[in-house]
Amino acid sequence: MKSEGVLKPYFKQTWHIYLASVTLHAAASIIFAYFPKVLGDFTDKLKSGQLGSHDVVHFSVVLVLIGAGYALLGGYGQYLVMYVGRLFEYMTRRRLFTHFSGLSEHYYSKNGVGKMLNYFMNDVTGVRESISMGINQTAMATMLLISCVGAMILSDIPLYLIAASVGPLIFIPWIVIKIGPVIRQRSRKVQEALGTMTESAEEQFGGVRVTKKFAVESIMIKRFSSKVDQIKTNQLSLVRISSLFQAIVPFLGNLSLIVSLAYGGYLTIKGDITLGNFVALTLYVRMLMNPLQQIGNVINTVQRSRASLQRLNELIAVQPDIVEADNARTVNLASSPIRLSDLTFTYPDAPQPALKHINLAIQPGMTLGIVGRTGSGKTTLVKQLLRVYEPPVQSIQIGNTDIREVTLESLRSQIAYVPQDGFLFSTTVGENIAFGRRKAGQGEIHSAARQARIYDNITEFPEGFETRLGERGVTLSGGQRQRTSLARGFIMQAPLMILDDSVSAVDAVTESEIVHTIQQERQGKTTIIIAHRLSALKHADLIIVLDEGKIVQRGKHDQLLAEPGPYAELHAIQEEGSQYADGR
Amino acid sequence: MPTAVNNWQTDQKAGNGKQPKPEYKSAFRILKSYINPHRKTFTLVTICTIIAIASELFQPYLVKIAIDDNLMAGKNDYSSLIVICAIYLGLSISSLFFTYLQNNLLQDAGQSIVSRIRKQLFEHITRLSMSYFDKTSSGSLITHVSSDTEAVNQFFNQVLLTLLRDGLTLISILVMMFYLDTTLGLYCLLLLPIIALIAIGFRSFMRTTYQMARTRLSRLVAFVAENLAGMSLIQVFHQQKAQGELYKERNEDYFKANVREIRTAVTFNRTFDLLGNLTIAFVVWTGGKAVLGDTMEFGVLYAFITYIRQFFQPINAITQQWNTLQSATVAVNRIWGILDVEPEIKDAAKPVKINHDAIKGRVDFNRISFSYGNGTPIFRGLDLHINPGEMVGIVGTTGAGKSSLMSLLCRFYDVNEGSVQIDGNDVRHIPQAELHRIVGLVQQEPYLYAGSIIDNVRMFDESISREDVVRACEFVGADQLVSRMAEGYDTRLSEKGSGLSAGERQLISFARIIVFRPKILILDEATANLDSQTEQLIQRALQVVSEGRTTIVIAHRLSTIMQADRIIVLSHGSIVESGTHAELIELQGVYEELYRHSQGEAAAASEAESANESAAAPEAHTIR
Repeated sequence: MKSEGVLKPYFKQTWHIYLASVTLHAAASIIFAYFPKVLGDFTDKLKSGQLGSHDVVHFSVVLVLIGAGYALLGGYGQYLVMYVGRLFEYMTRRRLFTHFSGLSEHYYSKNGVGKMLNYFMNDVTGVRESISMGINQTAMATMLLISCVGAMILSDIPLYLIAASVGPLIFIPWIVIKIGPVIRQRSRKVQEALGTMTESAEEQFGGVRVTKKFAVESIMIKRFSSKVDQIKTNQLSLVRISSLFQAIVPFLGNLSLIVSLAYGGYLTIKGDITLGNFVALTLYVRMLMNPLQQIGNVINTVQRSRASLQRLNELIAVQPDIVEADNARTVNLASSPIRLSDLTFTYPDAPQPALKHINLAIQPGMTLGIVGRTGSGKTTLVKQLLRVYEPPVQSIQIGNTDIREVTLESLRSQIAYVPQDGFLFSTTVGENIAFGRRKAGQGEIHSAARQARIYDNITEFPEGFETRLGERGVTLSGGQRQRTSLARGFIMQAPLMILDDSVSAVDAVTESEIVHTIQQERQGKTTIIIAHRLSALKHADLIIVLDEGKIVQRGKHDQLLAEPGPYAELHAIQEEGSQYADGR
Repeated sequence: MPTAVNNWQTDQKAGNGKQPKPEYKSAFRILKSYINPHRKTFTLVTICTIIAIASELFQPYLVKIAIDDNLMAGKNDYSSLIVICAIYLGLSISSLFFTYLQNNLLQDAGQSIVSRIRKQLFEHITRLSMSYFDKTSSGSLITHVSSDTEAVNQFFNQVLLTLLRDGLTLISILVMMFYLDTTLGLYCLLLLPIIALIAIGFRSFMRTTYQMARTRLSRLVAFVAENLAGMSLIQVFHQQKAQGELYKERNEDYFKANVREIRTAVTFNRTFDLLGNLTIAFVVWTGGKAVLGDTMEFGVLYAFITYIRQFFQPINAITQQWNTLQSATVAVNRIWGILDVEPEIKDAAKPVKINHDAIKGRVDFNRISFSYGNGTPIFRGLDLHINPGEMVGIVGTTGAGKSSLMSLLCRFYDVNEGSVQIDGNDVRHIPQAELHRIVGLVQQEPYLYAGSIIDNVRMFDESISREDVVRACEFVGADQLVSRMAEGYDTRLSEKGSGLSAGERQLISFARIIVFRPKILILDEATANLDSQTEQLIQRALQVVSEGRTTIVIAHRLSTIMQADRIIVLSHGSIVESGTHAELIELQGVYEELYRHSQGEAAAASEAESANESAAAPEAHTIR
């Protein structure tokens, strides 16, 4: 577990930008702190009658310079720190994406996509807020605070007056820290209520056909309304506290001003301080209200993002389960048999093994059929060959090499896997088909599409193979998706092809055509077919029947039919309808 | 973590390329109609706001009095200073109170309005015809209900508050300035067009950068979400590097857009700052000269300087609300676009009265012609008559019109010519709610709601008793499954029915049928996607459910319909064969060929022929 975490490498690379930004902020604040002082001096000169008209010009020019200096220096400092915050997002997200690509299916099955996306978006942004705006505002506020107090002390305003005037302001950060979390908690409740409402809408619009068919629209509307009312209740409870906050902060500022007005005025009358100092004091108090509020906000932000940072650091520290061995070798699947010897596999955290004592030899060029009910371990078995999970040592051999000592590249690029769900990316159809062979030419893409019986569908799309899929493009039916995914497998012309119930949503006619094509195309190449319909397996060289992770039967189609057992039973069920009809 | 996902979905929608131009006038007119019932509250809010900003507004003026009448004049009358402080304290306390009141009042009214809009929108969408849902993705409807209404909410939450409070502050400051000194006030008034020019110039620029960043963000998020979802596939195809490159492009794009956005925002804010400070210098210069010439008191100058500083705060606040205002306007127009959609299918003005229990279940399709929109006709004069209690199986390739036929019977669409009748009543004359209770539908993917099993079976209709539900579940054989669950019938199911297999979910949807007692039952591919053992279970339930009902079964798998009283073979919208399984096999036609295929005989001879056929039958519905 050696991991540097998220922040260390980042600060190593960017500390000089931070330094520059803080320096700029300091300079800007010091300049700005002169602003009330200049006006105070102006007042004093005016009162004592020493002010000439060229002095007026002089004071104006100084004010312009202060304004310009503050805007430029402070602005550049702010820009730098915001820039560097975005740089953090950029760097961290790049790292996270690479990290995600290395994590295995085990991790993905434990953590949903929503959760990982949350790391990726909200946690990264949360940390960025702290180290960008947080640092920016802290720097600005403290520098301004120091400069203002410093300037006040320098300008002979007595310390006790400063303390009395600034006193009420000190409560501002305290209140922000006290009320802030309550506001956050209530605002989370509002967000949750909103989420519930969205879920309710999702449910309703997704199942609108059902609602309509049972004519229960009004009941569903009532259900939704209760969710809406919850939002209102939560929102109003949030407003009660947040508006209190919004009212109290300026009130404290006003108290400060009243103190400086009363006490400062009294001292001015007594002659202890000059009128200029009095004017400067009121201006300083005004200037300090904002930074103090910001400090409170920053403390809250930092608290919030500490949890995010911790989550990110833990995520980065996760080690991928599947790691290539140091001395990994390449293998040739076209000539090497695959041997499974006494393979027993248990999913991490599962109480029962998913595969038990599997012994199987897959000779190059053979067609293997796998049958079994849902959950019998069919997919688990073929995924072992892809090394998606780590099989026990010495249980899978390719040629004479243990699968754990084969390079992932050579293993996976020689296997064309066609999963059941037909997952496609929202790129063009052509790009989806060429996913495993990005350099494939149009001709190859077309012929793969023809083999998968999807060519005619694609050419009917307005943009043919250039048609985009997904949200903003064409939505394919389940069968079309499966056939596109099949084409993606065909184009690889891999020595080993695995079809994991790949045509379940395709109609009977097309299915039998595809089965026929597979037979022709895969002549002499190793093919593993998982199927529910036994008709797809008739031609297999070997069929294994899995039940609860064990091979319970093996043989050719005719052989298996002849012996009593699950295969023959399954066959009977699939034929039953016809017997029933014939018997009539 | 629903919010995270929602956010990026919203972003995705927002980044949908062209943003419709906000039509402020119509949006405001629409909102006004909602505000009207709350007129009293809004008047109160305005009054509260005026009182609330008073302390902020009078502070410089009070200090001015203190300086001019007291400190500068050297009167040194401490008691009048105390009076001024007391007034100020009083104003501050009233401001504290009224700010609080104003916020709460405004939110109360605003939330009531937003709730009303949300409910109205949801109700309206729910009552639209099926044809609308076939055309519109549910994703965009969800966006309207959640994000668009949230944008309206922000309008009340932020925009309206800012406009009221800061707008009033701005005006009051101007009034105070003019009251204090007309010439200097006029000079400051000159500022307004300058500020407006700068704001407008920057705003359009900021909008483009902002939108660019949002679009790129949504692209980034969509890419990551998809890649995470498909990571196993990427790994199996060993494409991590190639996808990583694609990712890098998007990440870089987003970063660049961000930097641009930052640059614009910082420049904008600092320009404002600079302008504020320049103005103060200018005031010192002109005002200083005036004070020297004794045409102005020093306190007035002090007040002016403070007012100028205050002046820029509300302007800044208002410009910050600009983006929110824009998205709210677009959202309002979008929402009203939907509220304007009329359901395509409406109940007849004088519907026939139907006695649900007396329905026999005869179905007649009389020479119907039909097409979706202006597309190619699906049916041309199709004729089909189904007797009460008959079980009819319908087969045909994808696109043959099986599902369209059922949509017409449910009156999701209306026929172009001919008529669909139930017991001799045209479906167009039966109220839809009644029709939908007469015709029951079981789909391929049974849809379950977040709720208990009881509520899922009775569809949350509490007029149906628990006992009825339990009896229905026993009837279809779902009781065993329920008894295995931790909390029996009160086990909560999630939206996608997780924890239940496809077959178990289908059993629950059969129980629904029993509870709602439709007279005509349609099974639309209800047994696809099941393994053979489960299919057998469902077959048994189907036999129970179809008892005494007219049943229409659509299936890919012939095993489901072999026992039907009559099998109809549809091709290109017309009936090509009809008869029992045995009769059709004897006929040696399309059905017999389908049957052979389903038995796995790769019919090499007829391959070319059937390939043509499947090509000629585009899967029209799935392409939207």
